Amino acid sequence: MKTTGRRIFLMLSAVCGVSLAGGLPSAARAASGDIKVGVIGPMTGANAPYGSLAWRGASLAAKEINAAGGVLGHKIKLVRGDSQCTPVEGVLALQRMISSDHIKFVLGDICSSATLAYEPIVENAKVLLLNAASSDPTITYKAGVGGYKWTFRNYPTDEQRAGIVLKYASEKMHIHKVAILSVDNDYGRGAIALSKHFFHRYGITAVSEDYFQASTTEFLPELNKIKNSGAQAILMYGYAASSRLVARQMLESGLAGKIALIGNGDFTNPQTIAAAPSVLNGAVEAAAWSPDYNSARSKTFVHDYEAAYRGEVPQVHAFTHWETINLLAAAIRKAGSVDPAAVRRALAGITFDGATGVVKFDSHDQADLPMILYQVENGKPVIKGVFRTAVAYPKP
Amino acid sequence: MLQNLLTDGLVIGSVYALVSVGMTVILGVLGQINFAHGEYYMAGAFAAWWAIDRLGLSYIESIPLAILIVAVLSLVIGYVVMQRLVDVSFDAGIIATLGISLLLQNGATLLFGGTYQVFDGGWLAPMRVLGEDIAQQRILIVLVTLAVFGALEWLVRKSSFGKQMRAVAQNVECCHVLGLDVRRVVLITFILGTTLAALSGVMTAPITMNIYGAMGEAITLKSFAVIVMGGMGSIGGTLLAGWVLGIMESLVAAYVGLQFRDAVAFTLLVLVLMWRPSGFFNTKARY
Repeated sequence: MKTTGRRIFLMLSAVCGVSLAGGLPSAARAASGDIKVGVIGPMTGANAPYGSLAWRGASLAAKEINAAGGVLGHKIKLVRGDSQCTPVEGVLALQRMISSDHIKFVLGDICSSATLAYEPIVENAKVLLLNAASSDPTITYKAGVGGYKWTFRNYPTDEQRAGIVLKYASEKMHIHKVAILSVDNDYGRGAIALSKHFFHRYGITAVSEDYFQASTTEFLPELNKIKNSGAQAILMYGYAASSRLVARQMLESGLAGKIALIGNGDFTNPQTIAAAPSVLNGAVEAAAWSPDYNSARSKTFVHDYEAAYRGEVPQVHAFTHWETINLLAAAIRKAGSVDPAAVRRALAGITFDGATGVVKFDSHDQADLPMILYQVENGKPVIKGVFRTAVAYPKP
Repeated sequence: MLQNLLTDGLVIGSVYALVSVGMTVILGVLGQINFAHGEYYMAGAFAAWWAIDRLGLSYIESIPLAILIVAVLSLVIGYVVMQRLVDVSFDAGIIATLGISLLLQNGATLLFGGTYQVFDGGWLAPMRVLGEDIAQQRILIVLVTLAVFGALEWLVRKSSFGKQMRAVAQNVECCHVLGLDVRRVVLITFILGTTLAALSGVMTAPITMNIYGAMGEAITLKSFAVIVMGGMGSIGGTLLAGWVLGIMESLVAAYVGLQFRDAVAFTLLVLVLMWRPSGFFNTKARY
């Protein structure tokens, strides 16, 4: 017992030490001419891999910018903050950045619940918050003309994802009747609620609506019902494990080639496709970015990232944080000043040549970003284009 | 459509029956509910996955190997734990089997990792039966279930070991007096029950596909409902209850909503107990 207690104490003090070290001394040492940018996200805990990706992406951008002479003669100095993906830890880390480190520009968080908690804090402190990874639509419902003037998001929302999938299904695949089959949690039900915003715009009706537990293994009764319902596609938001089962059982029910899978559920994952290739042919899914995206800027990033991190292929969060540091640098250059208010005004009106196209912010300070649409063809995911959809903001 | 739903229900019901009957024979002889029962179903599926994925065996070869692995596993657990539960209180049995359940679940996660493994095997090509497509594996599940239940009925009613099982179920003290080796009967019955769960796991794995440590949890709960409905210890009752549950789940999933599927087992249990408080077949002294 005694050793266990001591070990826990040591672990706790180590954790405290790490978060303090991340927050204070490195920033305090920064030269006065540097532009300090906070990067806040889950650096420890279950979601730490995402925080690590974000940090690596942002670090690469800062290194590249500084190597090219910095911004307006200043070097960019990143400061790390750990939110563990919780609002409580995140707000503490953010307040440390603002009050102790006098940071005026912050990138974060990965997790939507933490980002939502930061919005009022940066508003009071007049600190510019740039989000590059949270997908909850309400973050920018509340920004810009929605209220908060200091929050910007350079990442597509779940609502845009839902809209783009339905737009493609309606316009390119001529699908107008869908059967809803989604996982029974915030993600699955949330995505369907957002999809319904677009049903009218794209002339889509739902013939049935079912939600399953992530552990459900038997879908045949539902699929039999869907078979006779006239549905042209199954609109599904779920996880890879369920997608495999649904696809396999669609094969059993003779639905292969007759009903397409659209939505999000790792449909383009090789393991999912292998479960039932004939069912997954035609499956549609949207992503914010992927390493095989074909643009010069995107390819340069992948190349530089792999060179910087021993051949590691960058994931979407590394990309969005790299891109957003570059976006911030462009806004500072445009403002001609490091004054946060001037940078905020510059950002609101910026036209930035991003890796996936031109980045502009709408009246809610939400970047109007494209998503890459994948469709499975002959057992391989194929990029069918880059699509945009305007967000239908709820009326105040 | 209705015919499809009944067929699907029958297949899933057969899976439930096959797992539950193992729980039922253990309950009958030992007088304890085996709350780790779903974990032997998981172990069977994992062992077959391991044989196919790591040893490169075919599905048909993986079935006996998986059953053998689970038999050895339950020999150890039976010897160390289950034999001691003959004359102990019901709550001690619950704690012991729940503990085993945690050990097996986390053991599987420790050995094979927390991510889902994909089971690659079985005969999934559809066959046309009565004008409807159905995967061969599903037909096989029903046939195997019928064969197992036939064999069990014979074992319990006609064989010498069946007589011993029935004797232990009826009166343990009397068996001791007569010189019957109760611990041996308990151990063999336990291995029989768990290998039936493992058989069910291997037969179902090609359909459920995702293999992970906690996959047996839901199975344990449903088996519990099935054996209570079937009449705690009745073999024929377990088959009937399994089928009723499978078919009801299919109908509810299609006509009421998929989100209510997992509520069927216990709603049905309450209804059956209101109508027949001792289950479909009240044969407590069957063995």
